[in-house]
Formats: sequence, structure tokens, C-alpha cells
Amino acid sequence: MRVHKLFRRLRFGVFALFALVVLSIFLLSIRTVSSELETEYVSNSANIARNIADASVDILLNRNLATLQSLIDQFVEIESIRYIYIVSDTGEFLAHTFVPGIPEEILASDPSLTDPVERSLPGLGEFVEVGSPILSGVAGTVHVGMDTESLALKIQRAVGQQIYLLCIIMVVGVLALVWIVKATAKPLEELLTYVVELARNGGEASDNGVLTRRDEIGDMARLMRHAAGQGSPPPKWRARVKPPG
Amino acid sequence: MTARRNRKGEGGEGSGLVTRRSLIRSGLAALVAAPWVRPPAAAADWTRRSGRDARPAQEGDIVLGVSAAFSGPSRGLGTELYRGSMAWFNHVNDNGGVNGRRIVLKLTDDGYQPDPCVANTIQLMQDESVFLLFGYVGTPTVTRVLPLLKRFRDEQVYLFFPFTGAEPQREPPYGEFAFNLRASYRQETAGLVDNFVRIGRRRVAVFYQNDAYGRSGWAGVREALAAHGETMAGEATYTRGTQFDDSMRAQVEILQGQSPDAVICIGAYQACAAFARDAVDLGLHIPVANVSFVGSENLLALLREGRDDPGSHTRFLVNSQVVPSYEDTSLAAVREYHELMERYSPDPPEDVDRIAEGEPYEPFPQSFVSLEGFLNAKLITEIIARMGDNPDRSRIEQAVFAVRDYDIGVGERVSFGPERRQGLDRVYYTVPEGDRFVPLDDWESRFAMT
Repeated sequence: MRVHKLFRRLRFGVFALFALVVLSIFLLSIRTVSSELETEYVSNSANIARNIADASVDILLNRNLATLQSLIDQFVEIESIRYIYIVSDTGEFLAHTFVPGIPEEILASDPSLTDPVERSLPGLGEFVEVGSPILSGVAGTVHVGMDTESLALKIQRAVGQQIYLLCIIMVVGVLALVWIVKATAKPLEELLTYVVELARNGGEASDNGVLTRRDEIGDMARLMRHAAGQGSPPPKWRARVKPPG
Repeated sequence: MTARRNRKGEGGEGSGLVTRRSLIRSGLAALVAAPWVRPPAAAADWTRRSGRDARPAQEGDIVLGVSAAFSGPSRGLGTELYRGSMAWFNHVNDNGGVNGRRIVLKLTDDGYQPDPCVANTIQLMQDESVFLLFGYVGTPTVTRVLPLLKRFRDEQVYLFFPFTGAEPQREPPYGEFAFNLRASYRQETAGLVDNFVRIGRRRVAVFYQNDAYGRSGWAGVREALAAHGETMAGEATYTRGTQFDDSMRAQVEILQGQSPDAVICIGAYQACAAFARDAVDLGLHIPVANVSFVGSENLLALLREGRDDPGSHTRFLVNSQVVPSYEDTSLAAVREYHELMERYSPDPPEDVDRIAEGEPYEPFPQSFVSLEGFLNAKLITEIIARMGDNPDRSRIEQAVFAVRDYDIGVGERVSFGPERRQGLDRVYYTVPEGDRFVPLDDWESRFAMT
């Protein structure tokens, strides 16, 4: 078992390397995925807002607010879209999806703004809101609110999947390493046992299988036996080994 | 699935047995029948599935496709509308039908949800090949179906007399695909606002269902207030499908904060009853108006049920109606309605797809909703009758436009034309008295500001 000491550093080194790789990928994933998902979220919201704005022109001009409400009700069924509201050019709320009422923060905001804005609505959650003008703003503005909690959840899910895969690879790698170490240590221990017996018996030792091996362990065993004055060295070492005596 | 012809337990034509002879006859007829005639194989299949005594459509029957709320929190509306219609159709069919053809309803349940309604309508138009669509319930459902009618405009399937007063089926671009009998929400809300303003209640707030229906009523109130130089005092919303047991405290508190003089509710009976209950309980003691869609009897029943003082939560209510009081037997149509509802007493449609088991419904002997269904049925029968022995979809519009000054029996004559796709305009106002709504004659004495 003392042979295992030779591999402790190796195992530790490999394990540390794995951990470093996983941690690095984890941090990189979080950064990349969150950045890309956030960009995609805002982009999708903007597209949805633009679609609603485009589809709303005739409806608004026909004063058909029921159809307008029906339109936004369909969009709000899309996952992660939490609210939509349409404000006229005079700031009047023409259609919205809020229950039980329009939040104070939204009532107090500038309805003509279309840049992405982060909102924290009490009782509702955290949102990223984007807007799109209807008929260049002269007919009003559409605002779409995306739930950042579901965005965070998506990021967690995406990163989690990567980490999950890496952890599986790491566990398999460590188990493989242990198996390799064990497989490598076993003939060394046999060699050690043989050499100890050789030393203890003044050059006499029973062959525990190491002498018949065709690898470096076998060579080492035969060299040891030769050094102890028994047998000949392995053929490939004969030229380099000075005959005893 | 298909409307029942006779009262439960009656035999004769309503026995529902599909004999070999009738199948052969139907099979032969299918070779020459109009496309809206139900194929005999489908009819037989339906009979086996339902196992009830209703009779499926047969050769020569005129099949009207219905998608309505027969389940869920608004079940009472679809059911009562259907019952009123069936009282009239049973009467017509018992007397030989229209030019020898029975009128049969093909029922589907949408639970007052848009997506099922769209699916049902496609099924009714494409698979069932119904003659026309009839008796739909609700704005969020109907507004989603209207584009379908435009998509299939070549097939000339029209929507008749939906139970909604919203504008989309009265205006371009979809108005040409629907015909309405009832007054619009715009007319109902304008009447309510006018009366409130007249008695000094100028600060009017709105409590509404947050969908196309609620928005339609909201827009009506907004427009009516603007005509008086006012703006909405406040607004609160609820989600479609809200139940009576749900709390409306948040909505009441939002409106209380705006100190309105009156609230107009644009909702269904479960949520509006919950709001009326919580308004009274939280001290919002101002008139609470509802439009016709609410289903007055269902609303009243919820508010009175199990209370020591049944009137405690109803004294501030005022409901607009689009049909006269069913108590007003001075009107010929109301007398007919009483007689036929009593004679046939149509059961709720228990064999419609998707109706949840264990969802009992106790129908009302009379109601505003069933009276509306009755009038709808009466008028569609007249329109079909005007098309002669071989009704054809291509002549429907012409037959409707031929209806001029038609006396439907409610004291207001019905006319249609290319520019007029709504038959009636009158709005009635009612208040609770005991377990029913009665006409409101004097707004001043009942609701004037003190």
C-alpha cells in the first residue's frame, strides 16, 4: 500500500485540474449564457412590441379596443411575457393586462419611452420592459414586460445543464484515475514484495509472477535478481549491465 | 351534442332510436342532401356515444352550430341561452318545422375560453358543415372566431345573434360576417352613464374582466363619460374565470381610493357577485351596475344564497338588460316565452363534449338570458322560413335584409339591412326585488346622491 503514496500527488493534481476546469467553464457559462439570453430576451420583447404596434394601427384608428385587447391577450400567453400595455399619444391607457389594476410605478412612468428599462413592481416581481411606438408614436406606444425571474431561471437551467455534464465527466474521470492507479500499483507492490524477499533470503526468492512479466516490472525484477547474484539480466539490458563479480 | 327535440321522457320523434330504415333513408338522402345536412354515419355514431334520448340531425334538418359556455364559471349563460332557444325550436319542430324541416342544434362547449371556441368553430364549419353558427356566448370567444368567418367567407357561414354586445362583430372588418339581435355594450353602458350623470353621480368607475369583453364595456363607459365631459374615476380588473369564492378586496380597495359615485361592472356573474359582496362588506356603498351579459338571475342567486338577510348584498345593484322583463306579460313574445318554457322546460345540455361530471346546474324557470335565447331562436326561424323550401347559404344575407319592421313581440320592431346588422336597440334597467330583477322606473329616488 505504500506504493499509493507515489500517486497521491498525481491524483490530487488531476482532481484540482478538473475542479479548475469545471469552475472556469461554470463562470464562463454564466457570463456567456446570461449575456446572450438577456440580449435575446430584450430582442424578443422588442420584436413582440413591434409586432403588436404594427398590428394595432388599424385597430386603434378604428377605435376597436376590444380587438386590441384580444390581440394583446394572445401575446401575453407567450412564456415569460408578463404584461403588455398600450398607451395613447396623450398618455391614456387604452388596453393592458394588469390585474387587479395598473401599478403605480407604471402609471407614473413616461409612456413614450421605448428603451429597455428594468422595473420592480411590488407584488408582481422584477421585469425588463421594452416599448415600441405605434405609427411613429403619433398613435401611441406598446410596452411589453418580460419576467426577469423566468430569465434567471432559464440561465440557471442552461448553466446547470452544462455543469451537470461536466460533473458527470469529472466523476467518471476520477473513478477512471483511481482504477488506473490501482492497476499500476498492484505489479509495483508485487515487485516490492519480491525484492524484499530477495533481500531477506540472500538472493533467494520465490517467483510471485513478476519474473515472467514482459514489461518494465519484469525487467526490474530480473535486474534485481541479477544484482543479487542470481540469474541473468533481461536481454535488452545485458549490454549495459556489468557482469557480477 | 344535438339539441333535444322533446321533453325528457317523451317518445315519438324524440325517442332517438336510429332504425335501419332511417339509416338507409339517411344514407340515400346524403347523396343528394345539402352540405349542412349531418351525414348519417356521424349521426349514428353520436347516438351510440350519447346514449340519451336526443335525436341527431336527419335528412332535411337544418343544423345550426353552437359553441358556448356549457361548463365553467359562466356555464349558466350558455345553458340559459340554449334553454330559451330550445323552448322555441321544440315548439317549431313539434309543429312541422320550417317548411317541413326541423331545426337542430349541434352543440359544442368552449367553457367561455377563446381557443376551444376557435377549435369548435372549425369543427362545426368543416366537419359538421352546419348551415350557420348560432347562439355563441361571450366577447373573448366571438372576437377570436370572427377572423375564421372571414377566412372561410366563400362558404358564407354567418354568425347569428351571439350573446355579446361588443363592437367587433358590429363593425368593419368583421361586421359583415355576423348578425346581432341585442343592443350593444356601447348602448348599455351609455344608458347607465347617462342615468348616473343625470342623478348627479358623475364620478363613475369601472370594474371589468380583463379581456376583450371587459375592454369593450370599458370603452363604452369611457366614450359615454367623454360625452358628458367626464373621465373615468377609476378602474379595477379581474381575470376571466374568477369564482364567487375568490376575494375582490384588492379591486374594491383600488376603487375606494378613487371615491367613485358609482361603479359599472363589465363581467360575468361569479366575479361580479364576488365584487358586489366585497364592496358591501368593505363599505363601498354606492350603486353597482352590471350589463346584460352578467346573467342577472345567476348573480342574484349567488348573492342571496345562504344569507340571513338575502337583500343585504343586493340593494345597490342595478342591471341593464337588452330584452324586456320576463315579468312583462303585456308583451306577446313574453307570453309566448312563458307558455313554451313551461311546456317544454328544456333541460341543460348534459351530453355536450367536455362538460365536467359532477357539475350540477339548476336552471331558472325564467330568466333574461333564456328570454334572449328565445327571441334569437324566434328570429332565426323567421329568417330561415323566408328562404323557402330549400334554404341555401348563399341566400341568407338576402333573407336577413328582407326582415323589415318585423314584430318580434317585444314592443320594438326588428329591421336589418346592409348598413344595419343589429336588430334591437332598446336597453332596459332593472333592480333586484326579492329573488328577481324588476324594471327600474325611478333612478332619482333609488340612487340619487344624498
